Amino acid sequence: MLKDFLEGTPLRHPLHPMLVHFPIGLFLLSLLLDLASLAFPSVPNLVRDSFYAMLLGVITALIATVPGFVDYTDIRSDHPAKRTATAHLTLNLIVVALYGINLGVRSSSLVDPKISFGPLILSFVGVALLSLSGYLGGRLVYDDGISVGRHKRRTPTPESTLRLSATNVANDGDLAFVPIPEADRLGERETLRVEIDGQVITIAKIDQDFYAFQEFCTHRFGPLSEGDFQGFSVQCPWHKSCFDVRTGKVTQGPAKVDLKSFKVETRDGKICVCVQCGTGEST
Amino acid sequence: MKWSLDLLKGKWLKHPLHPIVVHVPVAMWPSALIFDLLSQWQIGGNAMVRLSFYAIIFGLVASLLAVPTGVLDWSGIKKEKPAWKIGLYHMMLNLIAVLLFAINFGLRMQDFRDATTVARIPLGLSFIGTALLIGSAYLGGRMTYTYGISVARMSKAKWRKIAEAGGANLPPE
Repeated sequence: MLKDFLEGTPLRHPLHPMLVHFPIGLFLLSLLLDLASLAFPSVPNLVRDSFYAMLLGVITALIATVPGFVDYTDIRSDHPAKRTATAHLTLNLIVVALYGINLGVRSSSLVDPKISFGPLILSFVGVALLSLSGYLGGRLVYDDGISVGRHKRRTPTPESTLRLSATNVANDGDLAFVPIPEADRLGERETLRVEIDGQVITIAKIDQDFYAFQEFCTHRFGPLSEGDFQGFSVQCPWHKSCFDVRTGKVTQGPAKVDLKSFKVETRDGKICVCVQCGTGEST
Repeated sequence: MKWSLDLLKGKWLKHPLHPIVVHVPVAMWPSALIFDLLSQWQIGGNAMVRLSFYAIIFGLVASLLAVPTGVLDWSGIKKEKPAWKIGLYHMMLNLIAVLLFAINFGLRMQDFRDATTVARIPLGLSFIGTALLIGSAYLGGRMTYTYGISVARMSKAKWRKIAEAGGANLPPE
């Protein structure tokens, strides 16, 4: 409930990227006012105004931290963007700490006509680190689709990928039956993300049955294990392509190519995905 | 010509430019309203009136870049997509907000140097402009987070490689 709120689900828009506009804009304004105080020392209140802008920047940055941290925990632990997100988080904490120090250093000289050297340098370093960090945050969204379409998903997304192998499992010479260890704990419309000898597959439970299909959307390769399920349809979180989970067929564009789909069978009481022996090819 | 379009689309940065630039007006104009209200409540006095004025100018200057980059991103959306219409509303609301803050700026030029509170009309303009801007920014965010505009546009090749390694069916290149 609280997690849904902090992820912006009721608004259908993540909260963190909304809130970060404020520290980014205000820290920049603060630096500009510092520079203006050096250029126009006769203009009153520039140093004081820079302090106020920075103070509001720190307050809003601290507010933005909370949903940002929740968004971070929601990224799958083996996602290629997780490292970017860790760097983004670390840099931001450093920036907030630097601005906290900056506020303390300049608070005693608000009536000066010009900003002094120490706090000015701190502001420069702060803006430089923040620009880098903001850029990484943007790349998380525009490159890796983090939190894009997330609000449409009603069930939790996989926390990591299960790595399995088709060797040393039962087979009929043609198909290997790979048991999925966590499948019986899966709830309705929940998914697992599994990798069988390199082949990445989404396992979804719908209407008590299991369906397996390729993880990557055939449009821009969005993560279908994080997709939204309506009946037997899975919708890609990124650009809303829909596929029939039973056949892998495209039911709504922009995707044009069908998914690979895999048979799921129960063997010796275990839920197994059928992949071609050795190759991990579809059935 | 093409290089200038690529420049505005942010290809050189591997990140769309519009959502970066808009941080400035989106932060500045609601902040200007906060500073206006603080001055109204006798907090900060003339320093707040000045700060609000500077915030409005900084937002206007950034709009000079936010508008063309936004129009360009929007022109890349197909007209039959729902995001096209949302983009149109987003653009119209933003243009009204820019206009309101430009007028707001003009009205403050006379007395921001000495005033300790903000007059009623500029204060009202800050209110209306901020409300429109928040609505409009929300629509802009929906374009990204619901409709995936600009998402995986510049990272398509990277994801294709990952999907290929993951044994996926791929679209023709």
